[in-house]
Amino acid sequence: MKDVSDLILPENLRYTETHEWARKEGDEIVMGLSDYAQDQLGDIVFVELPDVGDSFEGGGEFATVESVKAASEVYLPVDGTITAVNEELEGSPELVNGSPYEEAWVVRFKPANPADFENLMDVSTYRTFCGDQ
Amino acid sequence: MPLWLGESTNFLETYTTYWIEAGLLEYRQALALQEQLVERRIKGDLKQDIVLALEHPAVFTLGSRGGLESLKIDPALLQKKGIDIVETGRGGVITYHGPGQLILYPIVDLARLGMKVGLFIDRLEELMIRLSRVFGVAPSRDVRNRGVWVGDDKLGSLGIRVRKSVSFHGFALNVSTDLAPFDWIDPCGLTETRMTSLEKVSAKSIEMAPVLQEARSLYGELFGQAMETLSFNSVYAGATEDQ
Repeated sequence: MKDVSDLILPENLRYTETHEWARKEGDEIVMGLSDYAQDQLGDIVFVELPDVGDSFEGGGEFATVESVKAASEVYLPVDGTITAVNEELEGSPELVNGSPYEEAWVVRFKPANPADFENLMDVSTYRTFCGDQ
Repeated sequence: MPLWLGESTNFLETYTTYWIEAGLLEYRQALALQEQLVERRIKGDLKQDIVLALEHPAVFTLGSRGGLESLKIDPALLQKKGIDIVETGRGGVITYHGPGQLILYPIVDLARLGMKVGLFIDRLEELMIRLSRVFGVAPSRDVRNRGVWVGDDKLGSLGIRVRKSVSFHGFALNVSTDLAPFDWIDPCGLTETRMTSLEKVSAKSIEMAPVLQEARSLYGELFGQAMETLSFNSVYAGATEDQ
């Protein structure tokens, strides 16, 4: 596995214990998989996305990414309703490995309680968390 | 509460994995048991990894990417034969399970093991390869089509699901499986793929008991675990006591 010091973890993002990143954009949140997650999973060959309008609880499974013969669950960082999905990932799942923070955003969603975002880990807390894994 | 779920036990046994032989177990029952054990492993009230070793009665299963389109027989006919088709969340597409096939479902915290998903899959393949060698069969890998192969014939298949770093589902190795039902599908979505078994390749009769015994010790070796056998009843009672 990547050494914690080698993980690319942008400063301006928040992170979850299940290795998703989240970024506030207006009153919505954009999220995807962290560098730790994509490194752990290996080459992603398939992404199963939810439908726009679906609602999930924070920590609830809402998508799966498949590396060869392994389906892994992805969790919504906080309670919310999906407003957009990155359909690009259906045709180019490898973006999750190549561009986890830019091209491979997974969904955009409207949080039920915008303040929940502040409870997500900041980068230094998350880096420490990854080191303890 | 069964001993192995206790708060204060096991803290000296970090590298112990429990091995449970469940005999012939219905697919849906085994899946429900796995789901319950995974929840307990995630919550931490199950502190050790567990390997379920079992056989399934005849059943077709679909993976996270489906696979119903690879079924070449009328589902109504399967129903008439009493063969179930079950949707599962494991990686991969359609496959067949039946008696004489060794199933291993390791419920493993990959983060604790410090193992990436790809390496874990690789180790499961290695287990199938080494196990087959014990019984006189030397299969190989195909990096494009995971699983283990004897020439162009597929001997063993695998597919896992990872929930909060805990892996479940696992592999299926044909020991003495009736291979006819595989003709009703394109296994793993691969057309023109024939399946084979240890018995077919070695032209010898192979009992499941010694295969289980070898699988247990190989698992310990490949994953660096001390294997401790638990009775199926204690685990099953433990996993279902909340219901």
